[in-house]
Amino acid sequence: MTNKVGAVMVVGGGISGVQAALDMADSGFKVYLVEKKASIGGTMAQLDKTFPTNDCSMCIMAPKLVAAGRHQNIELITNAEVEMIQGVPGDFMVTLKKNTLRVDEEKCTGCGECAIKCPIETSDEYNEGMKKRKAIYVMYPQAVPLVFCIDKNKCIGCGICHEECKAKAIVYDKKSEALEIPVGAVILCPGFEEFDARLKKEYGYGSYKNVVTSIEFERILSATGPFFGMVLRPSDGEVPKKVAFIQCVGSRDEKVGNTYCSSVCCMYAIKEAIIAGEHTEGLKPYIFFMDIRAVGKEFEDYRERAEKEYGITMYRGARVASVEEDPLTKNLTLRYSYEGESRSEDFDMVVLSVGLKPPEDADKLAKRLGIKLNKHGFCDTSIYDPLSTSRPGIFVSGAFAAPKDIPTSVAEASGVASKAGAIIAPARNTLVVKQSFPEEIAVEGQEPRIGVFVCHCGINIGGTVKVPKVVEYAKTLPSVVYAEENLYTCSSDAQERIKEKIKENNLNRVVVASCTPRTHEPLFQNTIKEAGLNTFLFEMANIRDQCSWIHMHEPEKATEKAKDLVRMAVAKSRLLEPLKTSRLEVNHAAVVIGGGLAGMTAALDIADQGFSVHLVEKTGHLGGYLAKLPLVEGGMKPKDHMDHLIKRIRESKNITVHLNNEVKDVTGFIGNFKVKLKDVELDAGTIIAATGGLEYKPTEYLYGQDPRVMTQLELEDKLAHKTFHGKNVVMIQCVGSRNEQVKYCSRICCAHAIKNAIEIKKQSPTTNVYVLHKDIRTYGFREDLYREAGQLGVNFLRFPEGTMPKLEKKGDNLEIVVPDVMLREDVLLKPDALVLSTGVRPNPDNVEIAKLMKVCGSKDGYFLEAHMKLRPVDFATEGIFLAGLAHWPKFIDEVIAQASGAAARAMTIISKDQLETEGIIAAVNDDVCNGCGICDPVCEYKAIVIVQDPSNPDKRKAVINEGLCKGCGACVAACPSGAMEQKGFKNDQMYAIIDAAFTGGK
Amino acid sequence: MSTTTVQKTATKEGEDWQPLIITFCCNWCSYAGADLAGVSRLQMPTNFRVIRTMCSARVDPEFVLRAFSKGADGVLVLGCHPADCHYIGGNYRTRRRIALLRMLLEQYGFDPDRLKLEWVSASEGPKFQQTITDFVKEIKEIGPNPLKEDQVEEH
Amino acid sequence: MSDFEPKVIVFLCNWCSYAGADLAGVSRYQYPTNIRTVRVMCSTRVSPHIVLELLKDGADGVIVTGCHPGDCHYINGNYYTEKRMDLAQRLLKMTGMEPERLKLDWVSASEGEKFSHLIQEFVTKLKEIGPNPVSKDKKLVTRLEAAVDASKYFRLKVLTGKDINLTSKGNVYGETLKLESLDEIMAKATEDEYRNSLILQLTNHKAYSVKELATEIGEPTDKTLEHVVSLRAKNMLALDHIEGTTPKYKAITIGGA
Repeated sequence: MTNKVGAVMVVGGGISGVQAALDMADSGFKVYLVEKKASIGGTMAQLDKTFPTNDCSMCIMAPKLVAAGRHQNIELITNAEVEMIQGVPGDFMVTLKKNTLRVDEEKCTGCGECAIKCPIETSDEYNEGMKKRKAIYVMYPQAVPLVFCIDKNKCIGCGICHEECKAKAIVYDKKSEALEIPVGAVILCPGFEEFDARLKKEYGYGSYKNVVTSIEFERILSATGPFFGMVLRPSDGEVPKKVAFIQCVGSRDEKVGNTYCSSVCCMYAIKEAIIAGEHTEGLKPYIFFMDIRAVGKEFEDYRERAEKEYGITMYRGARVASVEEDPLTKNLTLRYSYEGESRSEDFDMVVLSVGLKPPEDADKLAKRLGIKLNKHGFCDTSIYDPLSTSRPGIFVSGAFAAPKDIPTSVAEASGVASKAGAIIAPARNTLVVKQSFPEEIAVEGQEPRIGVFVCHCGINIGGTVKVPKVVEYAKTLPSVVYAEENLYTCSSDAQERIKEKIKENNLNRVVVASCTPRTHEPLFQNTIKEAGLNTFLFEMANIRDQCSWIHMHEPEKATEKAKDLVRMAVAKSRLLEPLKTSRLEVNHAAVVIGGGLAGMTAALDIADQGFSVHLVEKTGHLGGYLAKLPLVEGGMKPKDHMDHLIKRIRESKNITVHLNNEVKDVTGFIGNFKVKLKDVELDAGTIIAATGGLEYKPTEYLYGQDPRVMTQLELEDKLAHKTFHGKNVVMIQCVGSRNEQVKYCSRICCAHAIKNAIEIKKQSPTTNVYVLHKDIRTYGFREDLYREAGQLGVNFLRFPEGTMPKLEKKGDNLEIVVPDVMLREDVLLKPDALVLSTGVRPNPDNVEIAKLMKVCGSKDGYFLEAHMKLRPVDFATEGIFLAGLAHWPKFIDEVIAQASGAAARAMTIISKDQLETEGIIAAVNDDVCNGCGICDPVCEYKAIVIVQDPSNPDKRKAVINEGLCKGCGACVAACPSGAMEQKGFKNDQMYAIIDAAFTGGK
Repeated sequence: MSTTTVQKTATKEGEDWQPLIITFCCNWCSYAGADLAGVSRLQMPTNFRVIRTMCSARVDPEFVLRAFSKGADGVLVLGCHPADCHYIGGNYRTRRRIALLRMLLEQYGFDPDRLKLEWVSASEGPKFQQTITDFVKEIKEIGPNPLKEDQVEEH
Repeated sequence: MSDFEPKVIVFLCNWCSYAGADLAGVSRYQYPTNIRTVRVMCSTRVSPHIVLELLKDGADGVIVTGCHPGDCHYINGNYYTEKRMDLAQRLLKMTGMEPERLKLDWVSASEGEKFSHLIQEFVTKLKEIGPNPVSKDKKLVTRLEAAVDASKYFRLKVLTGKDINLTSKGNVYGETLKLESLDEIMAKATEDEYRNSLILQLTNHKAYSVKELATEIGEPTDKTLEHVVSLRAKNMLALDHIEGTTPKYKAITIGGA
């Protein structure tokens, strides 16, 4: 074995890169996260909300950014670019250029005083130029790392920031440096760029003020954007009444050279339209589109709600020819064709849904790194190996490989962590840091001795709050034996001071009054831990973000408030107890349920990293639906890929296959599951549910009654065996999808139908093929198939939403009547072959399996992930993951990426020897609990069970599973008897802090 | 216990009467929203004190009652928007609890408008500012907590 | 308006100009009685807001005099004076008041005659232009108030104060900036701050829409909106109410919302 380096480099700090970094770091590898800009976050940090849940983007993303910023095994290298990668997989040497920030990252506290004083204003890229920033700046308020940087192009070098910086962090002559970093694998997540809307001259972007791009509109919608979240016209600040969204700007457009579909624009436009209406009274959105591509999980519901609940007008099949501005009113006239006629309509504002394109420097990056790009300029990948670039050891995830949405990018990010991990698995845990701490001082039974450290934060606090007065006041509080002020309590010398003072004064509690615990608590907790105190003996008073900064003009009152906040923190601090996080042993095996593509891929990924896997399959053979796809796709028959996987599984010594078997029971929790099969009980640290989906077997259109009627899978089989001889073929889309019974879109049927249609045309060019559809949803590069089919002469007929073609049997002839939207009349077709594009149905077994594993199903019968955007392969129940069609219908490449993702997530658990439980969790007082069970349904994590008290046969009681509890405290508030407690937020602690808010409180 | 002079809450109804409001913020959204208000230097009255809980669902009705009994003129509970909850569905429970609690307060003849639930996300600094400003105004109109007067008499 | 007698304030630096004025007296050079002199130790003591405030309060003209470049008793004070008066002049132009009402000139201790000529010419000029219109033009007063506010902004003070270092001695990177490029930055910053101040002056008592503000400040509506965005971001302006489709804004008064 050659030497492997137990480190990986992730290039690009968007959501995909951050997820990959976290998964790698959690699996025992050192991670270098390299970001071109000064802070991580990527495009997602700019978004207001995310579809289809309208989650606040920053709310869900910030915790991940902070986690990456704090992770002891992730090193952030910002403002840096990769120059060169030398070496072989497992042993690369990466050369980086780290551009100077001209600010000392160690010293900068992110207080922002420099930016306030900087005299140079320039346009703020984060807000797409609609706001101003200074020449010294941080990209956005929640940025990670929170370090300011100087924009040398704008800076005039006046020196004010240096004069203002109390932390002495400004270093004007700091040099850019070249770094050489050895890693075992490289993950590329450089993301995408938006299409430059100026190239679509007919829409007037750049010259018409009220024509904005979708990303600009995203900032307009944001509470931190230029208009505080209200939609206003950039030309005059008026509230627009009619806003038009034009889809496919720079996508599906040969003229601008981008033939692919950008996949995400339909959904983000619907989202922006909904939010715009919500944020701004009287605003009516209109969307002009060709096909609405709502293919993802619960996207179709979202689309329907947009139309029905939010009153968004959809112009389906409408292509906008031009936008013209009235020079006086700055209103905009759209000319477009709709249902066969030319129309025009006036709007107050126009949003261009710009497509995604490869990063501008993709060419250069590819050359420097020695990887291939595809014809669209994105990173070249294969559908059977969707996460690998053309250079071994270098992987790709996110929109750099193809335009895609956030959940897909996140699932891929985990997937890529699995692939990269496979290369360097032998070097796991060789480069990770294990900090050692002194033995903990026992404080039980001691009188509280509290030390209070009050921070000036330069002048951020001290400029408003009279810090010395707060310190004097703190000294008068009960149990406070020491108090002092610091210029910056977070500086490294202050940490040494805190440790000294703990020793000197025998402090057993520490209170810091400074900024927010959200960013700084871990730092101080670490400090007191280094001094031998339990981390939970720490409390913070937020006297900056929530006091000095928001009461800048009322120094007296702000000072009084700061005293109150300190008194409250001290009151709670007196009652703090050291918390023990317990350690749970972890079983290193995984159970994968389902032997289809997803299950096999996940099992192999886990086995490749040296862990043992039990693969459970209900039928007598592996392979699932792949066996039914005999036509070549992506240069290979899916069936051949299946055979290859089966062969590898057979050869793997780590995988045990359980055929003709099924899961009968699941007990235990993360790290320690027991999975009972028919014949055997398996121990496993983690479970992956990859139970697949089913093809819908239609009851309509004489299926099963007339031999000329078949499904797409059946047609594919005939085509592969060259036994299909139809001359007039009609394909009907959405059979069993997007109707009253099954509302969702099955995602894959359009491309599948078109793939077969092309094959028909190739085998017999004279055969007439008609595809009857509502929308053609060939998203991403699959749009090329659609174009190809059109060029080969396949006819596409659109019928309206809410209708279906009608089939009649006249004598022995099949007659199809379809309402054609374009011709605005019914069309009669007489096919000799009728092919039904039947949707995907969830596996009916899911219901039972979900019950066994105590996980949730979605409303459509698929499994429900923990979070639709950012935890796409996790279940809410810790330690259990999902992949493949069990999650949602999807294509081969997507299944593979997601399965690898589930594997990586599973390995973040089983790669550890022990799991540490959360400190802040619920705890039951057995004496008081009477087992009423009110807490049980309140728990979202199924962490509470009601059991018989072994010592008392008449009594039942609640038991907390420490491995599952996330410490929200919902059960504590629900408990009627006061038996439930939340460690760190105990009732008496809460009462103490509440009481202390009032004069005379203790 | 030594408590030196602090602010003069709850003197008599008068021009300079300043209400004291207890604000519970969930750790993940609303506390972050309050921080963002700070980072954005959004100015607001000083009459509130934030108490952080991990989830708004941790706000035990008893906490609210305790605050009122100690003399809080208003209690504000802030959580993630529905569906944004870091703990999946905690805030739905909060919503039900607060609705119930308001009914209860009303039955006891206590003005239920002294208790308010709002959703403030991590990016809604301005909404935090607005919520605080409005609530302080509302409470100023309602007047001081009547329990406080009683207490003064008791002691 | 032959009977119009302008009121003129003249600032004299202690070491050159004051002595020059004395010399004019000793030499019995005659000049009009319209001036009232104010002695300062160095001409650089005269902040832009002082001269602007004088004009706002009704002075018909202001002259600032100092030592000739290179002769300053305090080494470089008069260079700063020049920069500061440039700023005051720029702002004055923006308010629409005649820029001729403000003059900077150098008068050495030996230039008694020059001093008398300076006064004579200035007073003649003022007689031509006529009296300060502030008493009749309320809007001009508001604009001058905005100019006074703008001249006090930290940002403009920094740019004025650092100017000479940046263009002659070199900045923190050891580079010297071109005079024109700094001038451009200064012009843009002055314009921005003036317009922002004017918006704040206007919205202090009454809510304005972007369109109304645009008319008042003489900028296109889209540029005006940018000022509104920038003031809102600085928490100095807030949405007051919406009339139909028109949001109206008011200045935030100090002391919190």
